[in-house]
Formats: sequence, structure tokens, C-alpha cells
Amino acid sequence: MKIQNLKIRIQVFIPVLFGCFLFTGNAYAMHISEGILPWNWAALWFVVAAPFVAVGLHRLKKLSNTDLSFKPLVGLMAAVVFIISCMPIPVPTAGTCSHPCGTGMSGILLGPTISILITAVALLIQALFLAHGGLSTWGADIVSMGIMGSLAGFLTFRALRAIKINIPIAGFMAGLLADWATYITTSVELASGIKGDSPFMPLFWKILIAFIPTQLPLGILEGAMTAGMVVLLYKKRPDLLVKMRVLKPEEVAA
Amino acid sequence: MELFSEYFKKDNLFSRIDARVKLLAALTLLVMVLSYKGFAFPLLMALLCLFFCIKMRIPSRVFILRFSEPLFIAAVVLLLKFFFSGEDVLFSMNIMGARIAGHKDGLMDGLQIASRMLGAVSVVAVLGFSTPFTEFMAGLSWLRVPRGFIEILMFAYRYIFVLFEDAMVIYNAQKNRLGYSNVRRGLSSFGVLAGSLTLKAFEQSQNVTVSMVQRGYDGNMPALKHKPFRASEIVFSTLFLIVMGVAWSI
Repeated sequence: MKIQNLKIRIQVFIPVLFGCFLFTGNAYAMHISEGILPWNWAALWFVVAAPFVAVGLHRLKKLSNTDLSFKPLVGLMAAVVFIISCMPIPVPTAGTCSHPCGTGMSGILLGPTISILITAVALLIQALFLAHGGLSTWGADIVSMGIMGSLAGFLTFRALRAIKINIPIAGFMAGLLADWATYITTSVELASGIKGDSPFMPLFWKILIAFIPTQLPLGILEGAMTAGMVVLLYKKRPDLLVKMRVLKPEEVAA
Repeated sequence: MELFSEYFKKDNLFSRIDARVKLLAALTLLVMVLSYKGFAFPLLMALLCLFFCIKMRIPSRVFILRFSEPLFIAAVVLLLKFFFSGEDVLFSMNIMGARIAGHKDGLMDGLQIASRMLGAVSVVAVLGFSTPFTEFMAGLSWLRVPRGFIEILMFAYRYIFVLFEDAMVIYNAQKNRLGYSNVRRGLSSFGVLAGSLTLKAFEQSQNVTVSMVQRGYDGNMPALKHKPFRASEIVFSTLFLIVMGVAWSI
């Protein structure tokens, strides 16, 4: 019985150990590296991402027609997401550094459609000039970080605010779930892309387990960062939160 | 930030080639690398791109920084596939009672993925090293990428450097005041850093809009103009792609 338990432990431990190497060490865990997906999977994720980016562009055009400062604001927010997702943060459990993705934060502030566009922009610059992510995996990265991260962040924040949960907790949960939604989607994309003839589920679980040492603490970091950002804006510039329709005017007045 | 081509850009043969030609050639090569069944062609591409990087005199530090992460991930994917994928056992060993086996088919799959990564990263690296951002934008505009997307890209690229400096000032100030001395304070400081950057982005966007409107901005950036293609570049790049296509089909 003891030997059986030990075997199970080792079978779990070794993928986790590999994962620590694969997804940590100044890792850009959210980004799927260039070339890792075969062309058919890479193309599929492009097809999935394209309509969301198109909706984002349509909304950008609509909003920038009424507010000239909207395009510069979206560009600047893309720069903020770029910087945040390049910032190495120590992850004590993995003994190394990783980075948050910032898409939950942009999802809360600018809405999911614009946030997807922001992520697409930040990812393209990172792929071209920093080799974080890639051109061929751009679609897959938009789906995991942009679509899933932004939607999870936005929906969580709105749902929790609707049931009167306070701003710091709603912000924290939005960041946390945005990060974890991103990492689960990345696991699906990676497992489906590299499985070859092997079955999908075992590889998916191995990758998911491998992400745990960084992504569990990183999700908490992302949550704290998002909560800190929303609270700071609430204290310093509540008018901006009202303008971006994050909060209702009566919530600020209260 | 030193990875951006603006920091080490030199006048060389590759930087003088039209960005549209480079973009189309890179995308074609990328499709070839991704669709190749095996590892010979991607490795050939990687070697060729290494040669191009040497010819472009890319600083070795930049080169190492750029390739270290993909190389590392490629190596680990190779090990992951070798030990945890496949059925044709090449060797096996016991570690504390658990049987670990290396698989021949897993190794071949892993080699294919690792070489594909290496080839694809090399192609995009040469494109990034040889193309200034503004020329790349002009190339995207020629490829009919929506104008709104290109405008956001240009705003983002312009303000990355400004906001990055602001972020470093805030980060160093927090660090000097023991803002990252323990996990709890670190989390709180990072939240304040992200919030401050967001505030700066909001304020900067207002200031930028005011100054741009004063210079005639009406919500759209001026269209990017293209020079006519040079016949020699078209002929040379077509020949190069034909040769690569032949190598791909072998």
C-alpha cells in the first residue's frame, strides 16, 4: 500500500517538477511559445479569436466616434497590460519569478470586448520583439489571455458587485478567476496541440498539475493586484470608474 | 526593453529590405515550418536564421535573451514527450519504486515540436531584429489589417517606453521603502503600482488627445504611405522562397 502511494506521489511529482522548469524561471506561463502548436491547431485558435477581435474593433470605432480620447486611452491601457505582463514577480512556492497577465484588470475597466483588443495588441508586440508568445500562437494566446481572462474578470466583478460584495473582494476574485481561467485554457490549448496520437485528457491533467506551483500563487497575486488597482482608482479618481461604467454614480456617492 | 530592435538597429542588408517583402516571406516560412512533418526543415531554417543574425551583427546578449526562453521550453517539451508520451519503450528505470520509461515515438514527437519551435522562433526573430516598428506597421497596413488596430498598436508602442520608465520609478521607490520586504506588503505594493500606472494611462490619454487635437487630430491617424516595390527584392525573395519550398518538399 505504501509503495503504491509512493508511486502515485512520484507520478504526480515528476510532471510537476517538469512543469516547474517548463512554466517558471522568468517564465511567461500565460504565453504559448512560437511554433509549439502545429499549423492546424494554430489556425483553429485564430478562427476562434477573430470574431472577438472584430467585435472589439467595431466597439472601438463606435466609442472613439463619440470620444476622441478613447483610442489613445485604449493604446495606453495596452501599454499598461504589456508592462504588467512583462514584470517579473517572485513566486515563493516555485522559488522563481513569473508574471501576472493584467487582462482581468482591463476587462473590469474597459469591458471584455475592448480588453480582448488590448490583449491582442500587447501580445503582438511581445511576440514580435520579445519572443514571449508568437505570431503562430497569437490566436491561441488571444483566446486564453484575452477572451477567457477578460470575460472571467469582467463577469466575476459584475456578478459580485450585483450581489453587493465590496469592491476589494470583487476586484480580488475577478483577478484571481481571470488568471485561473487563462491558465486552464492555456492547458487545453497546449494539451490539444502537443498530444500527437496520445489521448487528450491525461496530458491535459499533467499540464494542469504542472501549472499549479506558479499559477496558484500567481492567481492570488493577480487578484491582489486587481483589487489594489480598483481600490486605488476608487479612492483617487472615482469619477473615472463611473465614466468607464465600472461603478454606478450612487455607489461612488455612498 | 533592450530587446526592441530600436536599441541596436544597424543599417544592414536586411534592414534595407521593404518591410512588406520581409513580412510576406516570414509568414510563408512560418507556415512551411509549422506544416513540416519532421525536424530537418525547421532546423535548416534555424541555422539559416542564425546565419542572418550573425550577418546583422545582433549583440550576443540580445540574441541569448531572445532565444533562452523558447530554447528552454523546447528542451522541456522534448523531455516531457520522451518520458510521458508514446508506447514504444526505448529504456526504462525505477526511481523509488516508480517506473520511468523513455519512449522512442515520444522522442520523435518531442524532437519535431522542439525543432518546430526553434525554426519558428528564428524566423520571427529575424523579422523582429531587421524591421523597425513603424515599417512593420506600414507592412500591416498594406496587408489590410484594420486601421483602428494599427492605431492602437502605434499608441501602445509609443507609450510602452514612457510608462515603463514611470513603472520603474514607482517600483524602485516602493522597493527602497521596503514595499516588497514580505509577501503581504509586496502584494499591496504591486496593486498600488498597477493602479498608479492605470491612473497615469488615463491622465496621459487626456493630455495626448488635447495636444493631438491642437495639431489637427480628428479621431484618425494619417494613412501610412508605401514606397513602390523594388523589382530586385521581389525577384530575390521569390527565388529564396522557391528554394525553401523545394527544401520543404524533400
